[in-house]
Amino acid sequence: MEYRNTLKYKKRIVIKIGTSTLSYLNGRLNFQLVEKLAKVLSEIKQRGIQIVLVSSGSIGIGAGRLGLTAKPDKLSKKQALAAIGQAELIKIYQKFFENNNQIVAQVLLTKDIVTIPGRQKNAKNTLKKLLSMGIIPIINENDTIATNEIEFGDNDTLSAHVAELISADLLIMLSDINGLYSADPKTESSARIIHTVHEITPQIEKIATDSGTSFSTGGMSTKIAAVKISSKANINTVITNGSDPAVVFKILDGEKIGTLFLAKSGKLIKNKVVNKD
Amino acid sequence: MKDKKKRIVVRIEIATISDSNEKLDRKKMDRLAMVLSNLQNSGKQLILVASGAIALGAEKLKLDQQPGSFIEKQATAAVGQAELIKHYQRYFDEYNQIVAQVLLPSDIIDNPVRMQNARNTFDTLFDMNIIPIVNENDAVSTTDIELDDNYPLALNVAKIVQADIILIKLDTNGKFLILPKGQKKAILVNDVYDLFEKINTLPASPNSVNLYKSDYPASINEILY
Repeated sequence: MEYRNTLKYKKRIVIKIGTSTLSYLNGRLNFQLVEKLAKVLSEIKQRGIQIVLVSSGSIGIGAGRLGLTAKPDKLSKKQALAAIGQAELIKIYQKFFENNNQIVAQVLLTKDIVTIPGRQKNAKNTLKKLLSMGIIPIINENDTIATNEIEFGDNDTLSAHVAELISADLLIMLSDINGLYSADPKTESSARIIHTVHEITPQIEKIATDSGTSFSTGGMSTKIAAVKISSKANINTVITNGSDPAVVFKILDGEKIGTLFLAKSGKLIKNKVVNKD
Repeated sequence: MKDKKKRIVVRIEIATISDSNEKLDRKKMDRLAMVLSNLQNSGKQLILVASGAIALGAEKLKLDQQPGSFIEKQATAAVGQAELIKHYQRYFDEYNQIVAQVLLPSDIIDNPVRMQNARNTFDTLFDMNIIPIVNENDAVSTTDIELDDNYPLALNVAKIVQADIILIKLDTNGKFLILPKGQKKAILVNDVYDLFEKINTLPASPNSVNLYKSDYPASINEILY
């Protein structure tokens, strides 16, 4: 349990929320969820914790805006929908965060922040400046100029890179799965959540691949790949179900929610405050 | 055959949509949305290059003065861009016109893959009858942001979409300055109705390699004021 206790003292958190959590099965946005998310994150920020939100959802919202029922396959169509949807998405976030007196900013990133040192420094400076101003940056990939081949491709990976970029001390991925299961919970009744993962071993990777892949763009495998990045950067990661955003409060209270992937060095365990417990 | 005068890049400065106190002017914004939605309705493909993120961000953050340092500008731009696109959506929505947000890096013209990507996105948006609203991706820009100088961006966008006309300066009090492709001089247009007339009667643009004059027309301010 002491691992979980360290989560009580996190000061800079990246929260990633996926399309399937933000929207209904028909692809339309779940306003109630966005409202709750804004409320929860604004309150956490009030406690003096810095928050960065990485949000997907622009393509689905763009499709909804145009009244489309099927998801597009063509890249250019997806990019066009993303351009429409991102504008809508940030408008909706602004509205709900404003209800909580919280100012937000929009930051659209490309893989340049990983591959080009100048860009990396720049993005880092901007994000840190926003945090110091008490603003919650809302990040997405800049889809309109990105391609599948050369870009992040999914926001799980993006969120891990962002966490590394700003030296976050916790990454929370909110998705439609409860965590990493020992087997596919849909077929195996004996499947249970693994609450703590000390290291991503080939066995963990195999479990992730086997335990279901039907979750929007980023399945468990994508998430594990992202965790490798955050873990290597000494950042703990929690993967859990985000259908009730208040789950973030519980995670920060040290409750055994979802799967906690420990940072590679285990350095965070040496946290002074924790030693007092 | 493609209508030779179909694609128009409209460059909007913050002054175009703000009042004398540098606050967003609702009447001007509404007028702008009406005029541009109407142009779009008439069969033109419009693309807006709109600056003002820093000014709107400073207003939102209740800053006493414009942000000074590069990093402050970037942070303010990230707040303001969200505001900017929100306002455009609201006003265009009144005229039943859907808009999209496209943020481009300043060096887009040097990156063929990204440029092709942006072009594909724009083409698709045009097909869907949507007006793209373009700005520089200031929040992650590595070169200092020039306050409200989006003319170079407008030129780049015109190159990417192979626009036929750049509407350089738009003054909601009724005067417009248009630069047709391949022409060296901008044309002054006196009012909205004149704008339609001028755009529709322009001679077909020559297949010139040097498509747009890269500097401001020398007499831009003289012509306008």
